[in-house]
Amino acid sequence: MDGDIAGLVREISQNPAGSTRAAARLMSLLENHPTRIPEVHAEFANWPEPLMVLGITGPPGAGKSTLVDQLVESYRKRHPQRRLGVIAVDPSSPFTKGAVMGDRVRMMRHATDSNVFVRSLASRGHLGGLALGVKGVLRVMGLLQCQLVLIETVGVGQSEMEVAEFADLVAIILAPGQGDGIQLLKSGLMETGDVFVVNKGDREGASQLQSQLRATLNLRTSGRDSHNRSPICVTSALEGKGIAEFLDLLEEQHAKYGDEWIARRQQRFKQEIEQAVLEEAQRRLAETLRTAGIGQDGIAHILQGKTTVSELATRLLHLGAQDTSQHNEGTADERKSEE
Amino acid sequence: MQTANSRARILIGKPGLDGHDRGAKYIVHILRDAGYEVIYTGIRRSPEQIVEAAIQEDVAAVGLSLLSGAHNELFKRVIDLLKARGASDILVFGGGIIPASDIPGLREMGISAVFTPGASAKEITATVDRLLSAPQGA
Amino acid sequence: MKENPKNKLSTAQARQAWEETTVAKTVTRFPERRARFDTVSGEEIDRLYTPQPETESSYLDKLGFPGEYPFTRGVQPTMYRGRLWTMRQYAGFSTAEESNKRYRYLLEQGSTGLSVAFDLPTQIGYDSDDPMAEGEIGKVGVAISTVRGMEKLFDGIPLDKVSTSMTINSTASILLAMYIVTAEKQGVPPHKLTGTIQNDILKEYIARGTYRFPPNPSLRLISDTFAYCTKNVPRWNTISISGYHIREAGATAAQEIAFTLCDAICYVETAIKAGLHVDEFAPRLAFFFACHTDLFEEVAKFRAARRLYARIMKERFGAKDPKSMMLRFHTQTGGVTLTAQQPDNNVVRVAIQTLAAVLGGTQSLHTNSKDEALALPTEDSVLIALRTQQIMAHESGVTNTIDPLGGSYFVEQLTDQLEAEAEQYIKTIDDMGGMVTAIEQGYVQRQIEESAYRYGMSVEEKERIVVGVNQYQVGQEPEIETFTVPKQTASKQIENLRRTKAGRDRKKVDKALANIEAAARGDDNLMPPIIDAVRVCASTGEICQSLQEVFGEYKENFH
Repeated sequence: MDGDIAGLVREISQNPAGSTRAAARLMSLLENHPTRIPEVHAEFANWPEPLMVLGITGPPGAGKSTLVDQLVESYRKRHPQRRLGVIAVDPSSPFTKGAVMGDRVRMMRHATDSNVFVRSLASRGHLGGLALGVKGVLRVMGLLQCQLVLIETVGVGQSEMEVAEFADLVAIILAPGQGDGIQLLKSGLMETGDVFVVNKGDREGASQLQSQLRATLNLRTSGRDSHNRSPICVTSALEGKGIAEFLDLLEEQHAKYGDEWIARRQQRFKQEIEQAVLEEAQRRLAETLRTAGIGQDGIAHILQGKTTVSELATRLLHLGAQDTSQHNEGTADERKSEE
Repeated sequence: MQTANSRARILIGKPGLDGHDRGAKYIVHILRDAGYEVIYTGIRRSPEQIVEAAIQEDVAAVGLSLLSGAHNELFKRVIDLLKARGASDILVFGGGIIPASDIPGLREMGISAVFTPGASAKEITATVDRLLSAPQGA
Repeated sequence: MKENPKNKLSTAQARQAWEETTVAKTVTRFPERRARFDTVSGEEIDRLYTPQPETESSYLDKLGFPGEYPFTRGVQPTMYRGRLWTMRQYAGFSTAEESNKRYRYLLEQGSTGLSVAFDLPTQIGYDSDDPMAEGEIGKVGVAISTVRGMEKLFDGIPLDKVSTSMTINSTASILLAMYIVTAEKQGVPPHKLTGTIQNDILKEYIARGTYRFPPNPSLRLISDTFAYCTKNVPRWNTISISGYHIREAGATAAQEIAFTLCDAICYVETAIKAGLHVDEFAPRLAFFFACHTDLFEEVAKFRAARRLYARIMKERFGAKDPKSMMLRFHTQTGGVTLTAQQPDNNVVRVAIQTLAAVLGGTQSLHTNSKDEALALPTEDSVLIALRTQQIMAHESGVTNTIDPLGGSYFVEQLTDQLEAEAEQYIKTIDDMGGMVTAIEQGYVQRQIEESAYRYGMSVEEKERIVVGVNQYQVGQEPEIETFTVPKQTASKQIENLRRTKAGRDRKKVDKALANIEAAARGDDNLMPPIIDAVRVCASTGEICQSLQEVFGEYKENFH
């Protein structure tokens, strides 16, 4: 198994343009075993990072998919040498665990462009609705030399907050005629967004929405960049209008904050590793606690006043420091010595 | 093969110009009901687009839906392209309006299963389950 | 419903008035087929049955009389007593020559109208020599890339003597132009031509998929054809607003009515915005519905659709000409209802569906062949399908009176129910901002997808039995002979096309295409430049390319 990750990483880094299959495979591996993400770095000290990771979220029906498709088209024209990645996230069915992923439909014209890599992910019951797999896919897209990665999610539940975790910039896409505009503006979306896009800009109600949005943003005191007057872009994605201006805006943001983003990502990655280590440790300790012997007896003793939580924790830590494969022997020894 | 964390991924595509997508969309839903993660490409896709998408998505299988009679030509293109890209381990199954007399030919070219009108959701998901859990080359 | 002045009369008196005015006017020009209509046992059958004094109440408002608002009981005063429905079998495949032979066969066997099926590349605007056409040439219909193909298609068929329906949408203007130029060569002027082009782009986005350009430019093309034909081809039905494909895609009967009428509303609004007056073009609007096997639901559906449409045209659009309020429609028996298992059973299904369509008052009918779920139909199975209609027309007696099921407690209640349900959907779509918005939001597609899913599940769970499929199966399915498209088709077609393209005046073609592009950028009617281009052998693909430069290409949305 270990060979797989290292081998795949090597293959991809040696020939990013020609290793679609390997990259896709690695993405699946990491999606299914997210704790192994840190392993990818074994071969690679300086992991290539995208210039920008842009989150695109917002209520359904605002035209996100069309916007993403147009962004990809324009970006490719503007930077023909650069590669980009798109991660499209869809919710898994809580009942069947399956998922319907249809975001590709709007951007199939890019399927045969070797400089565009699109990956669909299902949320897989992850609390906020955003997929755990995003982390791994992002890593691999970096390795593929994707300079821009777009993460598209539907802005329901808390997934927009989660996008903020992974993305350097979060763009909230709104459109007129989506029901109560005011309600929308009161939701958590406003806190998470760095950039706002009013799509379907030539429709009735677009300028009203823009004004309402501006007013709401001016009142905003918390959130990611509350000191920064969040820019609003107006687009008509279907007609391809406003896309160039949106790209200009993104590039401005990159010019200002690009280095900060990379530092933040690296910091976050380190935190993730720390988190992963702690989680693995906790998992093992929990297993030890659960199995018969020290765990059950220890808890009974606490209830009987024969020992304390602190003492049990110390013993657990001492035991848990051993490898899980030797764990059973340890417990048996303990049991013997207690008799 | 499903485990707690991993789920099998399948791509459903409509190659060629046929725009009748009721069947394809139905298959997408019943496979989702069976626990698969299903990527749908929409209509009017070239074999190249379908194969490229299948590889990027690292799917275990591709389902092709076609009602216009162009299945012999277009299914073959998909099989050939997968082979050329070193992805022959991705299984291909098909459905739509396909005369019984064409099915042996399709099977021979590498299509693992052909579903025709009237196939039940149970049959389809059972067949897909079986295909995906069989060791390669079976 | 608005107060009907006839309410002051009793039904019997109103009936008499109807006989003396509306019916009398019709029979002087088109006498009924017989002096007397009898059952097979000799019982005389009345033209129409109306409530007896005890059961009167809302008859005049909700039902009225055939040929009069609200047209619930039929759009013509004498219906099948005056003229049977047109027996129009959809056909066309492989080459223009083969299709021509099949048309002549059908005309000889008693078919009274022609219906042309085109292959997918032609429908979407790709020439046979375009890479996009690979594998698809001649498969679902005839490949027509230039006017030469159209000439071969109608070789020996006098276009002033037949009515031709062409199932063509994105490229309708182009194929119509080719038909006009072909007639021209036969010496038949455009004002003598009768027929229909389907020309219904909205349902393509919803259910059928042969779209090319985005909605708004497509609507412009459609209103250009309305305007052009109103003036130059007045006997031509410029659109066949279709519910058939919407139903085939999985919609319920109520949705079939609603989404079709919403499409109609959009087209009418488009034409009015383009400066036409509703009574100028509305009389030429035609419709196309499916007919499934639930007999009474189908009959109720057609009656509800007629009444609802009449009200919409009168109250919403202020139409004054009764012809603008008449829902005239073609019906096709539902393809999805036919099974690949035990195909002979399909003959029975089609017979029931034919009965429903006739009891429902269709103006024209295509009956599917029994091998529909397997391949394009053979000559033998097409013949049975045609005979089904003929037997219904001449042996069943259901044509002896108009709207025979009118007055049935069941059918009247079901009619009201479907009408109300359809109205709900129409309101929802109105609130969304109209059909184009509803389509862009994916609302219509989702409704259909859900209905299809629900139906599939009901069959899966055996709540709904489909004979031969989930019950009454046979172990070994019998081998049946099916039609196969001859292998040489594609290469022959490409060869012919290359020859035609080589033999043209390239300069004239280029100039004509440039004119089309210029007209597309402006407001001029696109039909004249398209006709000019077609005359110098510009191809379907070339014309679409020029239009695409200006209009762009539509991209599918999902969820």
